[in-house]
Amino acid sequence: MARLMNEDGQWIILMGFIISIMIFFLAIIVNQSILVGQTTAESVLDFPKSDIQDLRSEVFESADSPEISDIREDIKALSLSRKYAVVNISNTTNSLTIDYNNGVTSYHETIQL
Amino acid sequence: MVENDAILYTIEGIAAGILVITTAYLIISTTTIYTPGDTHISDMQMEQLGYDVLAVMDIPRTDVENSPLETYVQADNTTGFREDFLRLATANAQNWDEDIKFNAVIYYRKPDGTIDYYPFSDSGNMTGNLTGSEHLVKVTRRVFVTDTTNISPPLQVRNQSVLLEVLMWRD
Repeated sequence: MARLMNEDGQWIILMGFIISIMIFFLAIIVNQSILVGQTTAESVLDFPKSDIQDLRSEVFESADSPEISDIREDIKALSLSRKYAVVNISNTTNSLTIDYNNGVTSYHETIQL
Repeated sequence: MVENDAILYTIEGIAAGILVITTAYLIISTTTIYTPGDTHISDMQMEQLGYDVLAVMDIPRTDVENSPLETYVQADNTTGFREDFLRLATANAQNWDEDIKFNAVIYYRKPDGTIDYYPFSDSGNMTGNLTGSEHLVKVTRRVFVTDTTNISPPLQVRNQSVLLEVLMWRD
């Protein structure tokens, strides 16, 4: 068979092929990065940072108040019914322990008094 | 003599077509995924703003006095809380035209161990102005109450911890 065509066309097609594969991979990367951003935002939303800070500040503020056992009962009951979290506060003579668990995040802290 | 060049051209054409369609599909699907992540982020900003406002209000001005938030709750001062909350929530450098509405309720523990609540404050002028589709977030703050004499429902007379719940939304 006589070669009537030159081979430039094959090179153009090959380059087009390589470029489309590159675009293909770039599209996959962009796709992944958006998923990563969404999961990060969701996990930041789920983490009860403000709840734990609020709980600590309330425990410390009420630490040397009279009726301390009633106050701790208030905190436990309100956590369970409104914040869906199990909270326990206990102390010995020289340490104070805070336990917090909302089913996803658990937090434990012991402070030496 | 049979020419088979045309078969090669056809196969190349099909391969190129599949590549183009797959790439176009991927690019279009990435742009549609973006929207749900976006609403989460604006919710998160609003929630953080609310927690920050309540935290700022719960800081005592001097060592010996109660925080403004404790004072409002103990005096049952609805107007004072409303003004302070809205002033802090809409305080921003650009002075944007943004309108934040809220409804605040206080939960407390009764002697028998059950939880009850009473309405504490709201942004005012709400009757008839609600659409039912407000996009709201909930922020909370525990308030340490040492004086219950001015609070209208009968709380137990003792030091106690109550939970202030604020539902807030942009109007």
